Amino acid sequence: MDLTWSDEQEMLADAAAAFVRRECPPERVRAIEASDGGHDQPLWDAMAELGWCGLALPVEHGGSGRGVLEVTVLAEQLGRGAVPSPLLDSTALAALPIAWAGSDAQRARLLPALAAGRSIGTLAVLEPGMTDAWGDVSVPGGTRISGQKLLVPWAHVADVLLVASSSGLYLLEAARTAWDSVSHDAFAGEPLFAVTLLDACTEPLGSPERPAGPETTHRVLDTAAVVRLAYAVGAAEACLDLAVRHASQRVQFGRPIGTFQAVAHRCVDMRVEIDACRYLAFQAAWSLEREDRAAPLEVTAALTYARGALRRVFLDAHQVHGASGFSTESDLHLFTRRLTEFEITFASSRRHPDLLATAMGLS
Amino acid sequence: MDFAVDPADARFRDDLRALLDGTLPDWWRGMFVDDPRAIPFTREFCRALAAREWLTLAWPAEHGGAGASAWTQAVLREEMWAAEEPRGPQYMNLNYIGPLLMRYGTPTQRARFLPPMARGEVIWCQGFSEPDAGSDLASLRTRARLVEDHFLVDGTKIWTSYADAPADWCLLLARSELAADRHDGISVFLVDMTTPGISVRPIDTMAGPHEFNEVTFESVAVPRDCLLGEAGRGWELVAAGLTFERVGIARYARAARVLEHLVTHANESGQSRDPRVRARLAELRASCEAARLLAYRAVSLQARGVVPTVEASIARIHATRLEQEVGHAGLELLGPLGLLRSGDPVAPLAGEVQRHFVRNIPTTVAAGTLEIQKNIVARRGLGLPRET
Ligand SMILES: Cc1cc2nc3c(=O)[nH]c(=O)nc-3n(C[C@H](O)[C@H](O)[C@H](O)COP(=O)(O)OP(=O)(O)OC[C@H]3O[C@@H](n4cnc5c(N)ncnc54)[C@H](O)[C@@H]3O)c2cc1C
Repeated sequence: MDLTWSDEQEMLADAAAAFVRRECPPERVRAIEASDGGHDQPLWDAMAELGWCGLALPVEHGGSGRGVLEVTVLAEQLGRGAVPSPLLDSTALAALPIAWAGSDAQRARLLPALAAGRSIGTLAVLEPGMTDAWGDVSVPGGTRISGQKLLVPWAHVADVLLVASSSGLYLLEAARTAWDSVSHDAFAGEPLFAVTLLDACTEPLGSPERPAGPETTHRVLDTAAVVRLAYAVGAAEACLDLAVRHASQRVQFGRPIGTFQAVAHRCVDMRVEIDACRYLAFQAAWSLEREDRAAPLEVTAALTYARGALRRVFLDAHQVHGASGFSTESDLHLFTRRLTEFEITFASSRRHPDLLATAMGLS
Repeated sequence: MDFAVDPADARFRDDLRALLDGTLPDWWRGMFVDDPRAIPFTREFCRALAAREWLTLAWPAEHGGAGASAWTQAVLREEMWAAEEPRGPQYMNLNYIGPLLMRYGTPTQRARFLPPMARGEVIWCQGFSEPDAGSDLASLRTRARLVEDHFLVDGTKIWTSYADAPADWCLLLARSELAADRHDGISVFLVDMTTPGISVRPIDTMAGPHEFNEVTFESVAVPRDCLLGEAGRGWELVAAGLTFERVGIARYARAARVLEHLVTHANESGQSRDPRVRARLAELRASCEAARLLAYRAVSLQARGVVPTVEASIARIHATRLEQEVGHAGLELLGPLGLLRSGDPVAPLAGEVQRHFVRNIPTTVAAGTLEIQKNIVARRGLGLPRET
């Protein structure tokens, strides 16, 4: 047991933090968000150059063979800068599932390009009427697939699209088939799309004898949720930074507002909640990486805790900022939007507290 | 980062549980009870632990310890606190009075005071707070004047836990010099509680006896060699000591144990199928997990030789809130019968939830109030400006 970072993890975090400060300051985040499509190719190329696309992918397919824990270390730093990038989704929602459950042919065909950043992947889960990402999907699989999926991140730039269907995960490749993506009007941190599949050409993820079933979908969602939680923790840390800076500089009644305990203690509450979420995320990532028996439970505990906690954090940050935090001239909204997105897409599921309740012995 | 539990620590936990199962009497409800058997039992239990070298587990061998890791120590403190601390007040000796002696004591003091602690033979109490010096501890008025070869101590200490146990020794804070900065001039003394001039007045609490006492010192002669550390530099010792104390109690472990019992109750009463009950208990379980990890972070730093002042306060802020929430949720679950104490034959869960609730009313006050912990984190952790 040791909750401090290894030298290697520390180096990765430092490198990522330095990269984010240099390459993706808030002005660039704003510029990317305002651009057509919201995807910054030079930024993507720079991250691919650093080997981050293949961080957790197997060495034989061009990755560096590190684990989910390293992805969360990276995710936290990207979240601190609100970096708009398909990197984490491409890794957690597409590349890792292919590495875990893909057939040899699928792995050999798709992973090298994903690891090198020559292609981008994503996953489509939600459907009209679904209130929970972990709920039942109805789009059936086969060799042709039709249906509508909602809130699919980065669908417009994806080369590989995984689709959660009632029988498991299905694989679509832009090189072989087409899908239609329409941008949502969403209060979110990243581009989200409604994807319509009309008789699209597909194959099951995995070999025909061993296709990836719903349990793989759950493992993917669990992993993605933890990676996103780490990103959200980084975003929350940025909220706290902004709040502390504001509280130290803003003067009212002749003194910095941070000298008022009501303000200072709000900042401390943020500190406590962020740290709690952070170690819950790391623990869950550590267990997921080892496919530990405790993993699903630890994911569940992390998400059950984080959903209320992170909302309190960004609302506290807004309170400390006064009106200025509501203005988009402040950077706060860059983080608030991302935290909201995390909260209502990945952390809101009622599945988590209920699973935890069962696991703790409630009959 | 490594979340793996050492298999040896897992075995140690099983061994400890077996020992507790075999030795804790049915009537054991912690030491703050009106039961003459309680304190003698804690002494007996400590001797049993000491015989297995489990009492001062993490102390270095030269001081009578087993040189175990900080994590083995963490297992011990979790299992003990979960079982309502059958070591009685010994946890203070192990967690911070002993370590303070190791750090600041002279070789003679170490040789004199540590071995009896390692054998579990002495009870210490902590004489810090005074009627007019609570959170503002540096305003304390107890005076220690050097007269020839000893100090003469005069003053009143209050809220002194265990003094009526009776405690054998007191770690006493007194002003030995008047200094320009009020943090200077404070000294730490090791005071024999049988010295003439000391009187102990027990103060009843909502939770039972032994929690509180008022201790007065009238011209109490404390030999010069019972000064710990340098005269006038006691504030530094106190700061280190309070950090050790904050890391030293696994409060989340008790909360988690009470929660386990609430699960049993919810199953038996049929409330376990109520989605609101399920969600509430699950949230508390997740919060116990967070509290454990926050404590483990502080332990990780401690294991690397860092004094985790800010991290210990963060862990404590979280854990004390959790303890109170578990009590509230428990009373809601039990309903009106939640009022019944352990003495009542129909008390649900033998009055455990009631006791947990009441005992934790001042958990956000003891060992530095919630607000004081938050002030520490605000200034030292976040760098926010000081009040002027
Ligand atoms: C169960 C229990 C056991 C104890 N055992 C011992 C013991 O063994 N030995 C010992 O020496 N002491 C002991 N104490 C005393 C404990 O250390 C004090 O209660 C504590 O330091 C607070 O002091 P106080 O009670 O005088 O409250 P006060 O300091 O008077 O505080 C009252 C309220 O004012 C708030 N407040 C005070 N100053 C500030 C500030 N600057 N900013 C914001 N809010 C502030 C506090 O947070 C609190 O809410 C024990 C207390 C309890 C509850």
